[in-house]
Amino acid sequence: MAITQDGVELGVTVSEKAAEKIKYFAQKDGLDDEVGLRVAVKGGGCSGLTYDLTITSDELPTDKVVEQHGIKVMVDKKSYIYLVGTELEFSDGLNGKGFVFVNPNAKKTCGCGTSFSV
Amino acid sequence: MTLLRSALYETLAQGVTDFTHLHGWEMPRVFSSVAEEYRAAESGAAVHDRSHAGRLKATGTDCLDLLNRLSTNKVDELAPGQGAPTILTTDQGRIVDLVQVVNTGDCVLLLTSPGTQEAIIEWLDKYTIMDDVEVEDWTQNSAMLTMLGPEAAAAAATVAGLDTQAISGLPAYGAIPATVGGFPAQVVQQSLGPLPGFQLVLEVSGAAGAWEALLDAGATPMGAEAYDALRVAHAVPSHGQEMGQPYNPLEAGLIGSIDFAKGCYIGQEVIARLDTYQKVQKHLVTLRFEGPAQVSPGDSLVHEGRAVGLVTSTGWTPEGYLIGMGYVRKAQASTGSRLELEAPAEGWAEISGFSQLFGPGE
Repeated sequence: MAITQDGVELGVTVSEKAAEKIKYFAQKDGLDDEVGLRVAVKGGGCSGLTYDLTITSDELPTDKVVEQHGIKVMVDKKSYIYLVGTELEFSDGLNGKGFVFVNPNAKKTCGCGTSFSV
Repeated sequence: MTLLRSALYETLAQGVTDFTHLHGWEMPRVFSSVAEEYRAAESGAAVHDRSHAGRLKATGTDCLDLLNRLSTNKVDELAPGQGAPTILTTDQGRIVDLVQVVNTGDCVLLLTSPGTQEAIIEWLDKYTIMDDVEVEDWTQNSAMLTMLGPEAAAAAATVAGLDTQAISGLPAYGAIPATVGGFPAQVVQQSLGPLPGFQLVLEVSGAAGAWEALLDAGATPMGAEAYDALRVAHAVPSHGQEMGQPYNPLEAGLIGSIDFAKGCYIGQEVIARLDTYQKVQKHLVTLRFEGPAQVSPGDSLVHEGRAVGLVTSTGWTPEGYLIGMGYVRKAQASTGSRLELEAPAEGWAEISGFSQLFGPGE
């Protein structure tokens, strides 16, 4: 089931800077073309649910897939409901947090930012 | 409500008529006398039908990884034959239940408190999103005999057809497969405080034979009342009394089941902060009562006219002393502290110790 706002299907969006970092890590893993990012949710983390990022080109038939800034973002059906409208950003610098999830579904987020509850 | 009965009910009913109701199960309260059963566990071997406690079987490649993400102890690397106690906690760091996790090789066995198994299945299901995990409630299709005392390993070995050394040498919370009367079983190490203890977990068909064989091996049958008195004497918390969502694991003396280095789990942030900043407000203590004829869980403990604690469990020692457990505010929680019992109970409660695994200043 697609969740839409003003006729536009919501999914997981990736900022340009986050996409560049993903490509960088993909290249380090030897994945040059067709860079894919799987964004998923797992039980765990301080608040109950935690984000899980994997660089992969394997797409599942039930995935929600969106191409953004040259990478393919894949979200499985079960994780999708927790991630609708989420933006993946990258915060760099010495005190940067790395990949940061801005998730409108999260009612509470833990201190380190990788875990949330809905 | 229809009461559930253990696979041993018919066997036990031949020798005992004094049954009690525990979490919806009809279980023996006392066999010979509470004092005799209590002493057998301290000096010989006692066997107790604990089939009313929960048993879950978890299968799937992600079982241990999921449990590791949801609970306080490190359980993701448990090899077959190994086990560990771990606490499922809420995101507020409150206790859902203390669970013994055992990797049997075929499955992951979860030994839960009595009556919590359905809530635990729901809890695990809530946080299972993409994981390969199936959880089955095995409680009514199995039996569990608790063997306690210095001679418990020898009695268990006779029944399980194993060397005493194979059982007495089990690592803490470890398990060994056995065949009891032709039925597959697991012997799981699980002490009751300092008392050596083992759980014999087996399918219902093997239960009656195992019980008879344990009695033939010299074990004394023990009912619910003696078991609970021993539990209270050795400061082992029980769900619904000392454990549950009003309490966090540090208050309940369960620091030994927390791994502070393993990384995130649900509630980790709160529990780590309570520990680092020493924000634990109250402690679980053991109590010795003086004066009162009767004390009930829920009775208040008073210091200089102010309620500073609550009695959570009570029991009688074989010598006739009334003992208990309770939560007491940090300032008054020290061994030897005397607290007044609030009316209508009359008398004093002296703090005799702390839960085995945690006390102030440790």
